[in-house]
Amino acid sequence: MTRRHWISTAAASALAQPGARVIDAHNHLRRGNPDGDRLLIAAADKLGIQQLCCSTLPPERPLSHEGCLASNAWTLEGMRRFPGRVLGYCTVNPGYGKSALEEVRRCVEDRGFIGVKLYNDYRADEPVLHPLIELAIQLKVPILQHAGHTAWLPSPQPRISDASHLAALATRYPEAMLICAHICGGGDWEWTIKRLRSARTVLLDTSGSVIDDGVVDMAVRELGAERLLFACDMSMTASAARIRAATLTEAQRSAILGGNMARLLAARGRA
Amino acid sequence: MIDINAYLGHYAFRRLRHNTAAELLQLMDRASIEAALVSSAAAIAYRNAQPANEDLASGIRPHASRLLGCAVVNPAYAGWREDLAACHENLGMRALRLYPRWHGYKLTDPDCLDLVRQAATRGMIVTIPLRVEDRRQQSWLVDIPDVPADEIAALLRAVPQAKFVLLNGSGYTATILGKPANGLPANYAVDICLLRTELDDEIGTLIDTLGPHRVLFGTGMPFHFPHAALVKMEFLDRDETTKRRLRRDNAKALLGLP
Repeated sequence: MTRRHWISTAAASALAQPGARVIDAHNHLRRGNPDGDRLLIAAADKLGIQQLCCSTLPPERPLSHEGCLASNAWTLEGMRRFPGRVLGYCTVNPGYGKSALEEVRRCVEDRGFIGVKLYNDYRADEPVLHPLIELAIQLKVPILQHAGHTAWLPSPQPRISDASHLAALATRYPEAMLICAHICGGGDWEWTIKRLRSARTVLLDTSGSVIDDGVVDMAVRELGAERLLFACDMSMTASAARIRAATLTEAQRSAILGGNMARLLAARGRA
Repeated sequence: MIDINAYLGHYAFRRLRHNTAAELLQLMDRASIEAALVSSAAAIAYRNAQPANEDLASGIRPHASRLLGCAVVNPAYAGWREDLAACHENLGMRALRLYPRWHGYKLTDPDCLDLVRQAATRGMIVTIPLRVEDRRQQSWLVDIPDVPADEIAALLRAVPQAKFVLLNGSGYTATILGKPANGLPANYAVDICLLRTELDDEIGTLIDTLGPHRVLFGTGMPFHFPHAALVKMEFLDRDETTKRRLRRDNAKALLGLP
């Protein structure tokens, strides 16, 4: 297989070979802002991204259950406004226990959501998550976990998860489809990649605004391309360019851009 | 294309690829970047930055038509006047680089004002990166905030005759630096390195508020991959004349290139 450097200045240059599937595994709709959602889809069109797996985050912290319900309703609305383009993650705060479980079941079974999005209300290794993870396993949907690791910064997110917390959760639930969010928006990316080496069932999304050279190359080398999911998390051009910058085989590029996420979606017959 | 924001050498907290002159030139060739203003990555953390400037000059000397030197000078460190003169007169550097937070001074300190005035007198442009790294990933050894917009604005006012380029900035439109009719002298430009053109389109907004002659192509390579800036230029919804100004003409005019 040939390795190619994808530097191009052609306006029409796309992320992938013609016919290849491109799925953004981590993005967001903006509640009450349909123009913003349209801009997101327009950007995806321009970059050749066919499907976007989106959640809608409530504005309050910690997330309220009512806020999650309203946000999931907005996500559903987005799935209807952009049929086949927007795939929905159901956002919940695990602290709401049975209500959160009911919302996940309702969103996945009745509304066609493809996964669960967890924010920073609890760390991924806290027992409050266990019923939710067990439900996601039962429903065969992935869990996208907001994550980051900083060495010193006083965190405004005291219960943010990092790769260690995800690794602990993966040890308890090896059959869970866990996604560690935004390697390029979560602090020390070298630490995160190295920490995920031994957590072999955890996938990593490539999104974020940080444009440091070499992140995807290191992640492929340390984790394998089969564990990486192309994603943008609102940083559209930076995230698309990150894949172009990586030195990949065509098979690796195809897997990262869409094949790996399609595999997760196929678990519930959503491929 | 001309890149207003490139580096050579080692960085204290992360291994950089493509950080020799030969490797950087290969990367530039693949990205169709004909020339770049380069400064020393090592000088960011050195106490005495001048040996790093000398190393940089040695590296770029055989490639003078494509790699243009930018001198890192610390006005809080002994001998800065001699260092500035050496960089300009002996090492052929066309620009000055300031790292106020890394080097422990404020842009409005008297010695810094003196340094900037001297650089302006010499015809050197003055470049100021608002950040080196995203703060979330800084080493446990350092705690370096971004350079605040108000402090930059005070310097712009204090030395109106200087020509400034602000690098690695974003969120300008929420500060005085990116507001229309902000009362500041029009003596500064910004690079696109960390600006977005999708969704909120800060690049487009700054082209409108500052003018198309005050926005420049910059990659931050090899800290960053150049593709981010390239894709932004592809994505930017402006006519080719404007894009050519950003890619090349504005930097040529600033650097006095033929």
